Amino acid sequence: MNNTIIVGMADYKVGKTPAKLMTVGLGSCIGVCIYDLQSQIGGLAHIMLPSSSENSGGKETKYADTCLELMLSDLYKLGARAGRLKAKMAGGAQMFSFAGKASLLKIGERNTQAVEQELQKAGIPLIASDVGGTYGRTICFDLATGELFIKTINQGEKVI
Amino acid sequence: MNVSEERLEALKEIVNIGSGNAASSLSSMLQTRIEMTVPKVWLVPLNRLSDALGRLDEPKVVLFLKVEGGAPGKAMFVLDENSAGIIVRKLLRQPDNVDILKDEMAHSALKELGNVMVSSFVTALATFSGITLQISVPALGIDMIGAMIDAVLIEGGRVDDNVLILNTKLSASEASEEYEGMFLFIPEEGALDKLLGVFGI
Repeated sequence: MNNTIIVGMADYKVGKTPAKLMTVGLGSCIGVCIYDLQSQIGGLAHIMLPSSSENSGGKETKYADTCLELMLSDLYKLGARAGRLKAKMAGGAQMFSFAGKASLLKIGERNTQAVEQELQKAGIPLIASDVGGTYGRTICFDLATGELFIKTINQGEKVI
Repeated sequence: MNVSEERLEALKEIVNIGSGNAASSLSSMLQTRIEMTVPKVWLVPLNRLSDALGRLDEPKVVLFLKVEGGAPGKAMFVLDENSAGIIVRKLLRQPDNVDILKDEMAHSALKELGNVMVSSFVTALATFSGITLQISVPALGIDMIGAMIDAVLIEGGRVDDNVLILNTKLSASEASEEYEGMFLFIPEEGALDKLLGVFGI
């Protein structure tokens, strides 16, 4: 039986064991898992941009601040408990560099900082992360173990 | 972004002219006949990009150039590694296999190819629309297509909820080998009004 739930760009999904949550091809975007291991409940968000306030609106799940807020409220509805939540994240790479214009493209770094800030605000400890670099990542989160599997094309695989 | 059927048709026609020009420069650089499909147009929500692009974890070689000026957008030429290898060997006139990932000569040859193709594309658009357009320097990425697309989409620090993608397949088949690539144009929202305004649509 295939229990893998795929999370698209600018989207999030929540679930319970035995589900696994997966998002494919993270570049400068960030995949954030927030989970309550004891109740085996968790969610995965595929975040594209740092903040809803500095942008021209649209879908709330594009942005770190509004997406995490929505995902947290869904996690509580499923039965997750605030004090037990933990987070892991991956992504935030810089996929391209234009000669002399690198600074314009640091959106991956800004995304990383925004997610860290939002987690801190919500009081959720970030216990592992694999961010930055210049390569894409496909990630899969196992709700049963709290393990985040990270696959790349030329940088191998790892579990955090 | 909402786009009427009529506008999408007109846009396809515009991109057809531009891609045709890009295909003929590819043809003269490679000294071979290039087949081109008519453009497909996709207006897809962000979470369903794979409808337009296929599997997002496929390894691809991507040339990315920003189109700037009156009708801004993003242009990409997407190749599989095998096709990119064949094209590099032809461009460098070298019979041996090239390590696409590490070879710097291969990288500059590919960037030059991207530069020439997107220049031709933009020249065609500028010529009939009268809109001034420039292109950025080319950037090269070799990785999962999904990871490169996400970086391209959010490169300017914003992204529409629905992405408009126009793609054209370019292919060549010679005695011993076949290769192909996908030319993509992702216009920014404001660019549509400018480009289509020329036709009064």
